[in-house]
Amino acid sequence: MKRNLPIIIILLVLVVAVGAFFVMTRSATNPTANTNGFSTAPSTTTAAPPGAQPPHTLGPATAPVRLEEFGDFECPPCGLLHPILVKMHQEFGDKLQITFRQFPLVPTHQHALSAASAAEAAGLQGKFWEMHDKLYENQKTWHDAFDVRPIFEDFAKQIGLDVARFKEDINSDIVGQRISLDGIRGHAMNVKGTPTVFINGREIPFESLPEDKLRVIINNELAK
Amino acid sequence: MSRDEASRVAPQSKQTSLLPSGSWWYAAAAVVSLLGLADAIYLTVEHITGESVRCTIIAGCSEVLSSPYAVVGGVPLALIGAVAYFSVFSLATLTVFGYKGTRGLLTILVAVMFLVSLWLIYLQAFVIHSFCQYCLFSAGITAFLTVIVFLARRKSAVVK
Repeated sequence: MKRNLPIIIILLVLVVAVGAFFVMTRSATNPTANTNGFSTAPSTTTAAPPGAQPPHTLGPATAPVRLEEFGDFECPPCGLLHPILVKMHQEFGDKLQITFRQFPLVPTHQHALSAASAAEAAGLQGKFWEMHDKLYENQKTWHDAFDVRPIFEDFAKQIGLDVARFKEDINSDIVGQRISLDGIRGHAMNVKGTPTVFINGREIPFESLPEDKLRVIINNELAK
Repeated sequence: MSRDEASRVAPQSKQTSLLPSGSWWYAAAAVVSLLGLADAIYLTVEHITGESVRCTIIAGCSEVLSSPYAVVGGVPLALIGAVAYFSVFSLATLTVFGYKGTRGLLTILVAVMFLVSLWLIYLQAFVIHSFCQYCLFSAGITAFLTVIVFLARRKSAVVK
């Protein structure tokens, strides 16, 4: 028995380790997912504070599918999600409403707050989405820059903003407040990282964000 | 109990010692390796589910775990780490129970893991320019294991 004891202990640890791996993988994949890839967890979007008002949206408020993204302009996976959401907007048109919420990860990303401010300042001149696209499409050019202000001012010029007003607005209280209100909503909805996407109030697991999987989820919501 | 009685009991208790001399070090190595195993399993799950790719408030891990260095020949480095820690646990346990040949293998394995850890810290510091706290924890565990195993070998050499 004593000769076999170490083998028994080793096998026991192996079983526990493999078991823990499968349990953790399953719960991380989606603890509350049903077979369609939706979360069956109760919706948290209505109970949470509303965030900045009015929100930045694409598509009509009456759209049957409402997608809400918490994003950080300096986060590379958010940059990868950007063209996918553009494609979804083009494909689904009036059936899909996309809302962008600011969730700059400070201090993880040194320029995230400046980028969020630039987008909000552009929003005050009615060009949030133009700046949003510029920031994501040129993420690599400003990500490692020491001073991003001249780069963002150049973006402002390119999208036709009043640059003097943009430079004033970027440090304004209203811009800071909007970012803060979106952050409060995100924290209330248990957002831990970016991108975090909710569809009709339910969080979509990160591995369901590739284009083909997201399309299936949206189509399933439309079929309801 | 008189002094004579006590002196008769003392050698007896030495004979019934649970483990041979120096084995406690290897038992400690087995326990410490379980911490490394738990850390490596967590990192493997994060890698496989894609959660490590998401940006989080805790800096560094997404950059490190989504870098090309996090995968070796298509296999997540964290999974290789989990196998290594499990091997350390197995070899340390077998050594505790007096199996022959496992002590040398354990020393070689821990030395290799220590060197790999140094290389990974170099990559985080000078190539990726980000540190992942779970990877640093693993490096700390490996360094601790290295100290334990080499102390155990030294103790065994002194006993001989």
